[in-house]
Amino acid sequence: MKNKWTLWALAAVLAMGFAAAEKVHIMWSGAITGPTSDAGKYYAQGIEDYCSWANDTGYVSGVEFVCETRDDQYNNANTLRNFEEAVDRGDPVFLGYSTGGTLQLKPLVQEVGVPFIPASYHIGNIDPPDNDYIFLPIASYSEQVIAVLEYIAKVSPGAKVAMAIHPSPFGRAPVEDAKKAAGELGIEIVEVQEMAKGLDYTATLKRFENKGVQYIVYQNVAGPVANMIKDAKRLGLKVKHAGAHYAGGPDLLRLAGDAAEGFLWVTAYYMPHEDNAAAKFVKELGAKYGRPADAIESVHYPSGMLAAAIAIEAIKEAGEAGKKISAESVYQALLKMNWPNKLAVGPVTYSKDDHVGVDQLRVLEAKNGTFLPVTEPFSSSLFRKVHYGK
Amino acid sequence: MRNPWTRTGNYKTSYAQDTTIFATYSEQASLVVFLVGMLVLPRFLVRGDMQILDLILIYALAVLGLNIITGYAGLINIGHAAFMGVGAYTAALVAPHLPFWAVLPVSGLVAAMAGAVVGIPALRIKHLYLAIATLAFQLIFEWAVGHSPALEQGGAMAMPRVVFLGYKVGFKNHHYFWYYVTFVVLVLMAFAFRNLLRTRFGRSLVAVRDNDRAADAMGMDPGRTKVFAFALGAFYAGVAGALYAYWSRAVVIEDYSLMISIKFLAMAIVGGLGTLVGSFFGPAFLELLDINMETFSYAIKEIYNPPGVDVGSAIRPLAFGLAIVLFLIFEPRGLANWWRLLRSYFRNWPFKY
Repeated sequence: MKNKWTLWALAAVLAMGFAAAEKVHIMWSGAITGPTSDAGKYYAQGIEDYCSWANDTGYVSGVEFVCETRDDQYNNANTLRNFEEAVDRGDPVFLGYSTGGTLQLKPLVQEVGVPFIPASYHIGNIDPPDNDYIFLPIASYSEQVIAVLEYIAKVSPGAKVAMAIHPSPFGRAPVEDAKKAAGELGIEIVEVQEMAKGLDYTATLKRFENKGVQYIVYQNVAGPVANMIKDAKRLGLKVKHAGAHYAGGPDLLRLAGDAAEGFLWVTAYYMPHEDNAAAKFVKELGAKYGRPADAIESVHYPSGMLAAAIAIEAIKEAGEAGKKISAESVYQALLKMNWPNKLAVGPVTYSKDDHVGVDQLRVLEAKNGTFLPVTEPFSSSLFRKVHYGK
Repeated sequence: MRNPWTRTGNYKTSYAQDTTIFATYSEQASLVVFLVGMLVLPRFLVRGDMQILDLILIYALAVLGLNIITGYAGLINIGHAAFMGVGAYTAALVAPHLPFWAVLPVSGLVAAMAGAVVGIPALRIKHLYLAIATLAFQLIFEWAVGHSPALEQGGAMAMPRVVFLGYKVGFKNHHYFWYYVTFVVLVLMAFAFRNLLRTRFGRSLVAVRDNDRAADAMGMDPGRTKVFAFALGAFYAGVAGALYAYWSRAVVIEDYSLMISIKFLAMAIVGGLGTLVGSFFGPAFLELLDINMETFSYAIKEIYNPPGVDVGSAIRPLAFGLAIVLFLIFEPRGLANWWRLLRSYFRNWPFKY
């Protein structure tokens, strides 16, 4: 009798051992406080919630995800510390954030060979050298700006355009490609202005007016953009505004109010008010995990979800291929990824030569306090030509 | 007869005794023990700890420089990170052509030249006006880098991987290697700092700080002293910048921003302005405070995380600000003063007086 119970106990212990899910750590390092934290905090929540959803639904069989969102306060030294900790622990993939932090880590990422998915869509992240392991979730800022220039050229042939950019590598990244594309499109970029941290852009806007600018294209975050478009409205300028992913979105509507009316915004994400599976999924997760309306409405929330989703999908594919989950197997899975995801307007596809996940973008226009699509998903026809010369 | 191993009071009978670095053998011995301890310390630390230790040492070097400018010479400097940046960008430019041990002094010298130029306004202005002039340098530096294609417009300039005596520095040994390099450099420059006040120039610094007109009347040249203070302080920052560039593997403008300058000032104040040990205590205290507050903030989030208010995340910046305010109010002489009191207590132990 005693032996029988011993056998049962042994069997139970063995069964528990086999049933215990493998814990896979995924770390994100970004700004929950400090500069750009208005975007970072929602981005972090998107990552946390997608991981929770993956665990709750058993999305990857036999795997329990331990997702850590670390506040690096937009400080590269903290980002470096977090990344090295993840590498030491053997994390198979890392989620990054800022342009500066990603650019600084490039040589190290290349050395250690851990796939890195940043929130920065700076083209320099995936340009040589040291670019093998960095994967952008969606098209780069350069491609976004060229896409919106293509749209402007279509609706206003020969338009005069000014660019207003953030005074950093993040802001400057698309300028050269945009100038080349404008030449091809028959529109003119009459001025590129780095936006100071001021609250009054009257002087800049009056100069744009004197040069006959019809469109201002922004590569900046929503806060300064809101200030400038409010000033343009106050001055009564007949100029249209357009911007890349981080320049627009519901955050801009909230900050700029009716001054944002007519703003052209290019992004790869669906809006939560749209009637489709992506919007429904985002809202469901936000409600399930108790996020406030501001988070669910923000484009940074699904952006964080997509970054986590790509990492988790790569881990899933690595596991399904019968490989041990490691940086190398996840990297190989990413290189073969062709995933029709739930969050963006196109599939996430990567290859050895293509480290951009979602290649398609949409232009949306602010109408009556909401962003509505004015194009179908499309890929920029000029970006590859002007950036890679092919 | 005096006991050469201990002191029973503050009785000095000669100028040499007054300016000596080591008053007793026990002070020499304790320094040797400390240095040996620091040399063997990496054997007991994991790679992640080494990374933090490296950062503290590099910042300590930069704060030593700030203490020459602000602590000794009394010239408020809000552009110290820019001096460090000048050193870092110099390192990025010359590192492909020079060995690392030559890059460090070259970076320091270029930063010193920048410091001398920034120090020129100090000939005519002081106090808050000089602070604004150094702030202007900080902003000019950031703007200039941001508009220089040769410096990747503030984007990353990768540092070459170092090979030293056949020893290739890679991911596993990176922080250990740079610990020893930084440690040696820091010890040498700390000795130079400590000896500075024993020189004519060092005494001029303090005299000019306390009253530049009186110093002038006593035959010192306040203008030259101030410019030289900026140059010397910037040299320290430049060497720290080169070390930071190697340590972080790439040079990015964000690492040398105004926020970092303010952080250096905070480190100097918390450590104790114008003190050698304060230059180590300040960076160590603030860096370790931040890391511990980070851990604490995650613990808070687990316990109390109300929707809409991120209490846990707010604790880190709050702790940083609070530390500075509390030190300014309750201990403006910084941690160096606590160290002085502690040493005084043990110097006389077990006797009360």
